[in-house]
Amino acid sequence: MSAATVLAPLAQAAVPRDTGVFEFLLDGQRWTGSPGILGDLLDTVLLCAAVIALSIVLAVPLAAYLAHERKAQLASAWVVNIGRAIPTFAIAGLLVPVSLRGGYGFEPWPIFIALTLLTVPPMFLSTYVAVKQVSPGAVDAARAVGYTERDVLTKVELPLAMTVIFTGIRVASVQVVATEPIRAFLGGDGLGRYVRDGLGQRNQNLVIAGAILIALLAGGTGLLFTAIERLVKPVGVRRLGRPKRAGRLQSADPLGLAGEGTEGTAGSADRDPVVAAADRR
Amino acid sequence: MDTDALPALRLRAVRKRFPGSEADAVQALDLDVPRGSIVSLIGPSGCGKTTTLRMINRLIEPTGGRIELEGTDVSDVPATELRRGIGYVIQQVGLFPHRTIGANIGTVPRALGWAKARIAERTEELSDLVGLERVMLDRYPDELSGGQQQRVGVARALAADPPVLLMDEPFGAVDPIVRTRLQSELLDLQERVKKTIVLVTHDLDEAIRLSDRIALLNVGGVIEQYASPDELLRAPANDFVAEFVGDDRSMRRLTLATVGDLPFERGPVVDVAANDLEAQKIMAAHRSDWVGLTEGETFLGWIDGHELGSGRTLNELPRFMPAAQVTPAQSLRAALEVIMTSRTSVAVINDAGRFRGVVTLEQIRAGLAGDLAEQAA
Amino acid sequence: MTGAIGIGAGVIGTAVTNRNPILRWSYFTEQTESIVEALVQHLQLTLSAVGIGLIISGALAAIAMKYQWTVGPITGTTAFLYTIPSVAFFGVLVPYTGNSAITAIIPLVCFTLLILVTNILDGFRAVPVAVKDAADGMGLGTSRRVLTVELPIAMPYIINGLRIATVTTVGLVTVAAIIGYGGLGRLILDGLRRAFWTPLTIGAGLSILLALLLDLMFYWLGNAVTPWTRRKRT
Repeated sequence: MSAATVLAPLAQAAVPRDTGVFEFLLDGQRWTGSPGILGDLLDTVLLCAAVIALSIVLAVPLAAYLAHERKAQLASAWVVNIGRAIPTFAIAGLLVPVSLRGGYGFEPWPIFIALTLLTVPPMFLSTYVAVKQVSPGAVDAARAVGYTERDVLTKVELPLAMTVIFTGIRVASVQVVATEPIRAFLGGDGLGRYVRDGLGQRNQNLVIAGAILIALLAGGTGLLFTAIERLVKPVGVRRLGRPKRAGRLQSADPLGLAGEGTEGTAGSADRDPVVAAADRR
Repeated sequence: MDTDALPALRLRAVRKRFPGSEADAVQALDLDVPRGSIVSLIGPSGCGKTTTLRMINRLIEPTGGRIELEGTDVSDVPATELRRGIGYVIQQVGLFPHRTIGANIGTVPRALGWAKARIAERTEELSDLVGLERVMLDRYPDELSGGQQQRVGVARALAADPPVLLMDEPFGAVDPIVRTRLQSELLDLQERVKKTIVLVTHDLDEAIRLSDRIALLNVGGVIEQYASPDELLRAPANDFVAEFVGDDRSMRRLTLATVGDLPFERGPVVDVAANDLEAQKIMAAHRSDWVGLTEGETFLGWIDGHELGSGRTLNELPRFMPAAQVTPAQSLRAALEVIMTSRTSVAVINDAGRFRGVVTLEQIRAGLAGDLAEQAA
Repeated sequence: MTGAIGIGAGVIGTAVTNRNPILRWSYFTEQTESIVEALVQHLQLTLSAVGIGLIISGALAAIAMKYQWTVGPITGTTAFLYTIPSVAFFGVLVPYTGNSAITAIIPLVCFTLLILVTNILDGFRAVPVAVKDAADGMGLGTSRRVLTVELPIAMPYIINGLRIATVTTVGLVTVAAIIGYGGLGRLILDGLRRAFWTPLTIGAGLSILLALLLDLMFYWLGNAVTPWTRRKRT
């Protein structure tokens, strides 16, 4: 692999320094050109979508199963803790030479893997907690009328836990989108490139324009997932209002950041030993 | 002025209206709590019993009226100072989970600035008093059972030796067996410490068992009757009281008196050395089919009257042991239970191995007709 | 800060070779000073951000507890700050505060607020009503009750918040390298720019180790200050 191919995606968005922030953002040429904002947006969205999809596949079924079986509580807590402790940028950086040695280039694999590592723990956690906190009464009743264990999980626990699971997915997804721009500093492009190039060229307006684009995409992601949440919420749950615990997670603790204290904390009988915490980078 | 004649606590026209409420939670309540007595506040929910209790230590400030503690208006004393001088026990105990049992008990003495050695000494004294092993003092509340926690709650309330103790459903959170035991312990404790205790409960049996006087409150903090437990059961002041104490008030009265309160009756019992004739005579006198055998102060067992006249001595006849037995300290209700389930329809009073007489259904019924509480006093 | 930020500005050759291995151990002895400097800066940034964050969060939580209606606005605002993409946040401050430590600290502090406020509030909410009632009933007084009863009970939650905030910040500090204040992140970025893998590996490895170490440290600290949670009646 020659240096030239590695450097190819690094074409900088050279923008005259006196271009105003909105002048830049509202210039159609900037959007459709090559490199252009639309292309970068697509880059970012595709990567994030892939990360989110993979994370859901990896985290949700496993967490739901383990929570249903009440298995691996302590192990889950530790995996989630360690997952939270690992800095995404550092992991992605470490993976770059590994990826290069394997002939996979600067990106997208390092950032893809790092973002997935960032996303799986909080999704796993919110699913685990959501399924575990489903009213034991509902579960007992289902068993009493002869549901199989599989039915209990898929027809009772999952629907009732869906609201909280989706909140977890939304939160984690916003984090992915908010973190993806570090890709521009790992040899890739995406929406982060404008901040990178602006910093490099000491072009403040370009930095600000780039920051606005990133923030808009992150905000938009949050809105999109909120809309999906509304759509998938089971009618019965909607009518009943939010379940108590779910309500707490959504309102007082919108990002599921509440810690668990030390296990078995005073007055924490209803607390889960698994840390309720979302990750960031 | 004779301070002993003065009630320890005096409530006069005490009123409470909560903000945003249309009606008074408590309206013009008068209550005297005699020194050294246990007074229960009982009534349906919304009767203001807990509100009244919490106004005494100013956890709730009254809207009007006057509360005197040992003749001093409580509103003249700073709230924290007042509360340090009043013991407070609540249903959920409210032990500090982050402090050891010893430190929990020493809370008020520490706040009062006692010396460390004195606090340690007092803590051990109290753990003995409430029947808590001293090894428990270094443990944390979560390591204790509910009953043990409640004992600690009482010890903590007694720490600075306050003359008055307020208890809000103190045994409401423990199971019935533990509750009964804790109630007995409280009565034993009261024998020794002689505090003035105001107790809120929703359990009539508890109030009957523990109180010297019961104040039965109606909605709005209206006292419907303020009387001794026996009087409350024997002579309800009005329909509300009668309905509250229920149809089984006679049964409830049985819990008030003990076997020892009944007049002594020896029953159809003869000495083991007696002959058939003597035995038959005493059976006839008691209209009994059974005759009891004693030897000195020991009860040997019952003999079926049909076995008499077979030529054998009383000592040779088959005996039914163990006989149904009660102790003088047991309640009449317990005695009734024993009698109903015994084959002989009579219970032997066994006072630490010594025969003291018998109890029959007829005796209990006769006792109820009289004024048991006065006999008990 | 150099003019060019793009990767490979001074390329030695991007392939992992014997000349450019993933980790050359001699780098530790040759560059001890710069590694230690980066590590120290990383710790400084992390601890000051969490420290300042704790002070602000404490004040916000106190306000939220005193005036119930502020809970929504406070959690809402801190939640909003939390979701600002880090790259954008660092970048957007450069025109105002320049390439200074302040530029790095402000976003780092803002990112800690939601975590800390949420956990502090949770901690104080975890104090059983009966415990507060008992404290009042015994005449402890408000300040004594808050300091000697409520705070210790809330402590495990607060320490857990600090734990999450700290490890999160360790990760975010590496991102602050894009404005020149990244501690170990600068080794990572520098390594990426020059395609020189040893500093990259060292920077990344040490920041991961640092995060895990601090995580463990807070776990131990949490246990140490809450001896009452370890022994339970069986």
